[in-house]
Amino acid sequence: MLDVKNLTFRYPDTETTWRFTFQVDHGQCIAINGPSGSGKSTLLNLLAGFLTPESGTIHWQSRLLNDLPPWDRPVTSLFQEHNLFEHLDVQTNIGLGMHPGLKLSAEQKQAISRGLASVGMAGFESRMPGDLSGGQRQRVALLRALLRDQPILLLDEPLTGLDAEACTQLRSLLLRHKAAGKVLVLASHDAEDRKILADKQLNL
Amino acid sequence: MLRHSLTLFAGIALPLLASGQGNNTLTVYTHPSFAAEWGPGPGVKEAFEHQCDCTLEYVVLDSGGDILQRLRLEGNSTDADVVLGLDTGTMETARQTGLLAPHSIALESLDLPIDWQDSLFVPYDWGYFAFVYDTEQLPNPPKSLEELVNAPEELQIIIQDPRTSTPGLGLLLWMKAVYGEQAGEKWQALSDNILTTTKSWSDGYFSLFMNGEAPMILSYSTSPAYHMAVDKTDRYQAAEFDEGHYLQVEVAALVEPSEQKALARDFLQFMLTADFQRHIPLKNVMYPAIDLGDELPEVFDRLIQPDNTLFIDPATVAEKRKSWLDEWLNAMIP
Amino acid sequence: MRQFPFGSTQAPLSHPGWQIGPGLIIAGSLLALTIAGLAALLWQAHLPEVAELWQNRYLGNVIRFTIWQATLSTALSLVLGLLIALALARQPRFRGRSLLLRMMELSLVLPTIVAVSGLVGVYGRHGWLTSVVEHWTTVRWNLYGLNGIVLAHVFFNAPLAGRILLQALESVPAPRRRVASQLGLTGWWLWRTLDWPAVRRVLPGIAALVFTLCFTSFAIVMTLGGGPASTTLEVAIYQSLRFEFDFGRAALLAIVQLAICGAIWLFMVRRGLSANLSPQRSFSETIRRPDGQGITRLRDAALLVCIALFLLLPLAAILLQGLPGLVTVAVDGGTSLADLAEATLRSFAIALPAGAFSVLSALLVLALAGRGGPHLARLSSVATAVPLMVPPIVLGTGLFLLLRRSLGHSSQGLALVALINGLMALPFVTQLLKGPLAGLDQATAQQADQLGVLGWYRWRWLHWPRLKRPLALAMAYGTGLSLGDFGVIALFGTPGQPTVPVLLYQQLGSYRMELAAGTALWLLTLLLLVFATFNLPGYRKRKQSRHQNDALNTLAEARHA
Repeated sequence: MLDVKNLTFRYPDTETTWRFTFQVDHGQCIAINGPSGSGKSTLLNLLAGFLTPESGTIHWQSRLLNDLPPWDRPVTSLFQEHNLFEHLDVQTNIGLGMHPGLKLSAEQKQAISRGLASVGMAGFESRMPGDLSGGQRQRVALLRALLRDQPILLLDEPLTGLDAEACTQLRSLLLRHKAAGKVLVLASHDAEDRKILADKQLNL
Repeated sequence: MLRHSLTLFAGIALPLLASGQGNNTLTVYTHPSFAAEWGPGPGVKEAFEHQCDCTLEYVVLDSGGDILQRLRLEGNSTDADVVLGLDTGTMETARQTGLLAPHSIALESLDLPIDWQDSLFVPYDWGYFAFVYDTEQLPNPPKSLEELVNAPEELQIIIQDPRTSTPGLGLLLWMKAVYGEQAGEKWQALSDNILTTTKSWSDGYFSLFMNGEAPMILSYSTSPAYHMAVDKTDRYQAAEFDEGHYLQVEVAALVEPSEQKALARDFLQFMLTADFQRHIPLKNVMYPAIDLGDELPEVFDRLIQPDNTLFIDPATVAEKRKSWLDEWLNAMIP
Repeated sequence: MRQFPFGSTQAPLSHPGWQIGPGLIIAGSLLALTIAGLAALLWQAHLPEVAELWQNRYLGNVIRFTIWQATLSTALSLVLGLLIALALARQPRFRGRSLLLRMMELSLVLPTIVAVSGLVGVYGRHGWLTSVVEHWTTVRWNLYGLNGIVLAHVFFNAPLAGRILLQALESVPAPRRRVASQLGLTGWWLWRTLDWPAVRRVLPGIAALVFTLCFTSFAIVMTLGGGPASTTLEVAIYQSLRFEFDFGRAALLAIVQLAICGAIWLFMVRRGLSANLSPQRSFSETIRRPDGQGITRLRDAALLVCIALFLLLPLAAILLQGLPGLVTVAVDGGTSLADLAEATLRSFAIALPAGAFSVLSALLVLALAGRGGPHLARLSSVATAVPLMVPPIVLGTGLFLLLRRSLGHSSQGLALVALINGLMALPFVTQLLKGPLAGLDQATAQQADQLGVLGWYRWRWLHWPRLKRPLALAMAYGTGLSLGDFGVIALFGTPGQPTVPVLLYQQLGSYRMELAAGTALWLLTLLLLVFATFNLPGYRKRKQSRHQNDALNTLAEARHA
C-alpha cells in the first residue's frame, strides 16, 4: 500500500503551501483532481523524488521512501511529453528502463519486440523518437514504464493531446497493468480518463 | 617505420626501468646548439668515447642560463660532472654558486684574443658580436658603431633583448665598453634605428631577418662562415666596426659534487685538443679555442678580423649588470 | 518484480565519490603544484619588499602595459570571434566552411616562432600585404609596436573564441530555433532570443581564457613589440629567474600575475555558471536560420572571405618559406629525413597521451563542477586555468624541486612532458567541453535519474553520444598544443632526441634556416592532419548512428550466443 501522510511542499519565494494525504492499495488507481496550478504535478514529482518535501511521509509497504533518491524508489513516471531520450532509438529507450546500462538478455530483447508489436509498432526498434508521432512516442514511453515493472506508476496527463485510437489503446494497457496489482496515481484533466481508470479520487 | 617506432618506444620506456647510471658515465649539461645533430656534440661524443672507455651523456638544457639554474637547484645532488655552454656573461654567477671545482689543467694551448687565466673555467670556443647584414638590401653598411648610432632612421636593425638573450647582453656591454658613461645617450640616439628587440637570436634571425624585415641584425662575426661554407652564398656578411668588437668566450667547468672528477678532467683536457676543436668552426660556427692550423676552414679567413677586442672583466659585469640594464631601460622607454 | 530498492548498486562508478574525487584530486594537484612552485622559489630566497611594485617605475610600466595590451587584444579577439561565429552559424553551407574551421583551430596551436614568421611575411615591413597596400594607397602601416602585438594576439585568439562560440550557437535547442525560424526573427530580436542566451554561457570563460593568454604572452610581445617599452610581466619574471637569479622577485611578480588573472577568472566564472535547463530535443537536424539570406548572406560571405585571408595568408607564407627546405629533405632523404621521421614519431608519442590526458582530466574536473556545488565548481574552473597564469618557468622550477628526488633521468622527462602538456591544454579543453557537457536538460536528467542511468551508464548513454564531436575537437586541441609545444619540453632536459619543435629550434641554432623553415611547414602539416583526423567523426555521423544499432544488436545477441 502507498501511504502518503501530511506531505507538505512550498516553492521558494511563494506563499502557498501544499499538503497531501492519501492512501492507495495494490491494483487501485487514484485520480488527483484540481485545476491547473493546484499542485498535481508537484505531488507526482514529490513521489518520484524530483522534489523534496518540507515535512510529512511517503510509505510504500510500510517502508519510508522520503530519503531515497529517485533511482531507488519503486516508481515510474509518465509525463505528457519529454519522456524519451531524444538521441537514442526506440529499443535503447525501452531497454534502458529494463537495465540502466542496457545489458539485456535475449528474452528481454524479445519482450521489447513483443511489446512494440502489441501496441502496433512492430519493427520500430531502431527508429529515433524524433521520427515518431505524439501517440507513438507516448506508447513507447508507456511500454518502457510497463516493462520496467515497478509497483507504482505516476501518470501526469499521460493521454492529453493524443488521438482517440491511441487513447483507447493506452488506457487498455494501463487497465491491464492495474489488474496485475500495480498502483496508479493519475493526474488528468480528462473526465473520461478518470472514469475509466480511477477507483478513488483526491480533490485538491 | 614500424621498427623505428619500436626503438623509439623502447628509448622512452627502457631508461625508466634502468635509471641508475653506469660507473663510467660522464654527464655533461649543455645547451641545444652544442648537442644538436648538427652541432659539435655527436662528433665530440664519438671522439671522446673512442679514447676514454666511458659513456658521454648530454643533458640538454635550453640555454646557458638554464644550465646554471639547474645546477643551482640541484646543488650537491646534481648528476652533472661537467657543465659546458656557460659564457663570459654567466660565468661569474656560476662561480658564486660554489658548485664548481678548479680544473687544474694547463691552458698554454689556448689561442684567444685575450689572455685567459681562470682557475675554474676552460674556454672551448669564442667569437665576436657583430652586425650581420644583407648585402642585397644594404650595399654600404655603417663602418663604425658611431655611424650606426647616428644613421638616419631609414636604416633599421634587429637586436635582441639584453634581459633574455646572450647577444643582447653582448651589445649592451659593447656599447658600454665603447661609450662608458655616455652609453645611455647613445642608446637613445640608436633607438630610432631599432626595428624591434626580440627575445632570442632565433626569433630575430628566423622570423624577421630571413623575411627581409630589416637589412641588419645583431649576431656573431662568424655567422657568415656558415652561409658561405654550407649555404654557398656570400650574401650575408658581418659589418666591421672601427671601435672594435665585443668578445664572447664560451666555457666549460668541472662540477664540485661530481664523483667522476678524474674523468671530467680528462674531458676538459680533451676539449683543448684538435679532436674536439675541429668540430667547432662549422658546427658551432665559432672560432676554435686553440690554433687548428690548416684544419681551420678556409671561409674563416674571409671573416672580419677586428683590430680591437673589447672585453669587460666578467666580475665587473656581474656587479654592474643590473645598473647597466636599468640605464638601458631608462634610455629606451620614453 | 525486481528487487527494491534497486539502482544505485547497479551502475558502475555511480557513487558520488567517483564524480567528485578524481576531479578534486586533479584540481587540487594543480593548485598544489602552483603553490609549491612559488613556495620553492621563496624558499630559495625571500620575498622582496612588496612596495617595490609601485615604487619601481619600470615594474609599474610593465604591469600597466601588460594589462592594457591584454585588455585591448581580448576585446578585439572576442568581437572578431563573435562576428566569425555568427557568420558561420548563419551560413552553414558556406563553401570552404570546414577548411576555414580547420584554419581557425590551427592558429592557436602553432608555435609562436612559426606563426610570427608567417605574420611577418604578410603584414611585416616588407610583407606581401603591406607592400601591396603601400604601393596602391597612401596608408602606412607599421607592424612593430602595439599594432603588431594586438594583430598577433587576434590571429591566435579570435579563431579560438570563434570556434567555441560557434559550438555554443549550434547547441541552441532545436525547438527554440524552430520557433525563431517560423517567426522569421531577425536582427536584434533574433540576437536576444536565440544567440545571446547561447553565447552568454561561454563568453565569460572565453574572455578569461583569452585575457590570460594575452596577459602572459611573451615572445610575441617582444618580437613584435618594437622595444622594451612593450614588456609584459612574463618577461620580467623570466628576466628575474634566468638572468638575475632573483628568485624572490620572480615569485613576487608571479604572484602579481596570478592575482590579476585569477581575479579575472573568479569574476568571470561567477557570471558564467548558469546551467542549461532547456530540453534539448534533437541535436542533429539543421534548421535554417531566418537571417541567413539576401544582403546578410553577401555580407557574411565577404566577412568570412576576409577572415579566411587573414588566417590563410600567413599560413601560405609559411608554406612558401618552407617548401624548398621540405622538398630538399624529402628528395635527398638520408639523415635529415630520418631525423624528421623520428622526431615526428616522438612528438606523437608525447602529444597523443598528452591530449588524452587533458581530455580525461577536463571531464573529471567538469564532473566535479557539475556535482560538487558552486564552491567546488568555482574552484575547478580556476584550477584548470592556473597552468596558464603561472609562467611555465616557475611551474617547471617548482615541479623540478618537488620531483627531483624521484626524477631518475631525462627520458622520464618525456613522460613528464606529456603530463605537463596535458595540464597546459586543460584550460582550452575545459572551455571546449564545458558547454556540451552542461547541455543535459532537466527532463532528460530526471528520466535518467529515475531509471538509474547513473555513473558509467549515464556517461555511456547520455553524454557520449552528444559529446563525440566536442570530445574529438578537444582531443585535437590537446594533441595539437602538445605537438607544437616548445616551452615545456625545453624545461625538462631533453636528451639528444628532439621532438619536431625542438628539432626546429636546433636547426635554427645551427643556422639551418631553410631546413628550419621546412620543419616549420612539416609541423604545420602535422597539426592540420591532427585536426582533420579528429574532425572526421563529424562527417560520418549518419553512418555511425546506424552502426551503433548494429553494435547494439550484436551485443544483445552475443550474451546468449
